[in-house]
Amino acid sequence: MSTTQSTSTSADTVRITGFFSGRSELVVTALLLVLATALSIGTATMNVMGDTVPGPQFFPTIVCVLLYALAVAHGISVLRTRRFPQGADSSNPDFSAEMLAEMGDTERAEVFGSSSERPRRTGRVRMYSDWKTIGWIVGGIAAFILMLPVLGWIISAAGLFWVICKAFGSARPLFDLGVSFTVSSISYLAFGVGLGLSLPAGFLGGLL
Amino acid sequence: MDQLNHLMEGFAGALTLANLMWVLIGALLGTAVGVLPGLGSSMAVALLLPVTFSLDPTAAFIMFAGIYFGGMFGDSTAGILLNTPGASSAIATTFEGHKMAKSGQAARALATAAMGAFIGGLIATTLVVFFAPSLVKLATAFGPAEYFALAIFAFVAISSVVSESIIKGLSALAIGLVLALIGVDGISGTVRYTSGLPQLFDGLSIVVITVGLLALGEVLHVASRVHRDPSAMRIPTSGRIRLSGADFRKALPAWLRGTAFGLPFGVIPAGGAEIPTFLAYGTEKRLAAKRKDPEFGTTGSINGVAAPEAAGNATAGMAMGALLALGLPVSATAALMIAAFQQYGMQPGPLLFERSGDMVWTLLASLFVGLVMLLIINMQFAGLWAKLLLVPRHYLYAGITVLSMLGVYAVSSSLIDLWFLLAIGLLGFMMRRYHFPVAPVLIAVILGPLAETSLRRALTVSEGSLAYLVSSPATIIMYLLLTAAVVLTMVKHAASRRRLRAEAQVLQDS
Repeated sequence: MSTTQSTSTSADTVRITGFFSGRSELVVTALLLVLATALSIGTATMNVMGDTVPGPQFFPTIVCVLLYALAVAHGISVLRTRRFPQGADSSNPDFSAEMLAEMGDTERAEVFGSSSERPRRTGRVRMYSDWKTIGWIVGGIAAFILMLPVLGWIISAAGLFWVICKAFGSARPLFDLGVSFTVSSISYLAFGVGLGLSLPAGFLGGLL
Repeated sequence: MDQLNHLMEGFAGALTLANLMWVLIGALLGTAVGVLPGLGSSMAVALLLPVTFSLDPTAAFIMFAGIYFGGMFGDSTAGILLNTPGASSAIATTFEGHKMAKSGQAARALATAAMGAFIGGLIATTLVVFFAPSLVKLATAFGPAEYFALAIFAFVAISSVVSESIIKGLSALAIGLVLALIGVDGISGTVRYTSGLPQLFDGLSIVVITVGLLALGEVLHVASRVHRDPSAMRIPTSGRIRLSGADFRKALPAWLRGTAFGLPFGVIPAGGAEIPTFLAYGTEKRLAAKRKDPEFGTTGSINGVAAPEAAGNATAGMAMGALLALGLPVSATAALMIAAFQQYGMQPGPLLFERSGDMVWTLLASLFVGLVMLLIINMQFAGLWAKLLLVPRHYLYAGITVLSMLGVYAVSSSLIDLWFLLAIGLLGFMMRRYHFPVAPVLIAVILGPLAETSLRRALTVSEGSLAYLVSSPATIIMYLLLTAAVVLTMVKHAASRRRLRAEAQVLQDS
């Protein structure tokens, strides 16, 4: 513990240990390929109704070709450059920072802010993304969906709220429990009772 | 003046007690979500969209108008006080706004921003009232070939011209198109890509996609770094804010210049308010250098806050016009508004003014009412809004997650939609992690069906001849503009990539 805390910066440590170091983005290439393949299988096996020309397979075929082309182009660009993300990153890929900087007469780095930290080669290697926190949240949501019909909105939503507070590093579990039940009860009253949205009451429904 | 009569009828519809209450609730909620650190107006619209579906359409859209503009007003608050703009359309405001806040003029900056947002929104909404009927007339002359060109223009402009990377932008677009293909094909009635799930016959719900990508994806993204990155420092502000007469006179030309930049971008699908806000900021910066304004860039100049903020809201206001009259979303947020209309079985576009004229004019009238309300609640209670910045991050993101679940479940009452939501949320996280733009997905999901049907109709009319697609002047102009923009972008991208590669420094200690 103490050794990692002594490096107080959040600079990430990277080492090139194998083929996938700095190339984890190949996950996206894989996703594009899976989508393209699923789409082509779906298009080929489609049970076409009617005889419209062009038919329902016409547009998907174009999308399919586009997807395969993009998957190849993306795969090549990832293989060419290993990328190691560095520190906090507030950039928005919806917009080219270069373009906005030119229009705003500013420096590129000022647009989204830039991290002065660079990844280093020494120290403890850890994943850029904190998979433990993500795991807690995804697990919490999955448990929420499974429990919703059984426990009802108030209890399951309170549970979800509490788990996410915990995952985000809240240090007051008991106080959070109170907040969780307040939030879930108020939302049940406001949306379920007030606006008439159908939220499951669960086993509490029999008692109320 | 036909429009004035319609507008007066609209005001008569909007100024009922119930409708005023919906505007107020929308304005409060929109501002609140906009102010909360890290959340912007698109998050406000995405989170609150499903909740409005239990209201009748008029009430829902009135509330939505409040949320839409409220998010824009709120965006700049977090930027000015925390230096963390909620949306990238607030970045340009943040440059000078945060400098003002640091030199003890936070209240002045907030007042200038609120007033700027008001003026930009007011002028834009007035223009929409007078020009929407002409836009409608223009749109009724559009055939399938023109609509296909319009969709392609929006696709390529948002995914390639304005985004950081062409490959990633187009990949995001393609993912969106795939999501839009799921469900029964409208023309032939063929069931497509549902893998046998009857829940998917109507397609993947647009609410699931927007909430998953924008809200849940963001929660997971923040979670992936929350224990690794330091958090921002807040600058305190308190009490009421006001502008002196001298400030007002100084900022007025900047507000108007900003509005002039913002208006055209409300009808060009270039991703929304980011480009005009930066153009407005750049102009003020050059003007300040010419005038040797010592405040600009040091203690912060109110002109640098006024112009971008007015530009942002002018774009948002005009975007409403393009959305209602043409059915064309210029940004992710506008795409969400179209999704809301579709949820009620209405298709924005020329026919909307004929079929639901009453509702459209009531909506336009409530935009004016909403702007006045927002000006009041932002000027009078700025200190109070700033308190929202104190909400701990864990409550904030827990709240967003619970609200996402609530919204999606409320719309369909089906558990399978919640699983889809989780899957789309993970997709959103992956896209953020690897810097894929999210806006093209939403634009593709909204305009994908329009692109497909207009392409197929055009080819049916022309009996398969592709020349029909470029047979009218309007289509030729659109494709030429687009080609020019793409070529220019590719040249610029190549140049910047060469420069970045030359100065790249990969590791700190090597």
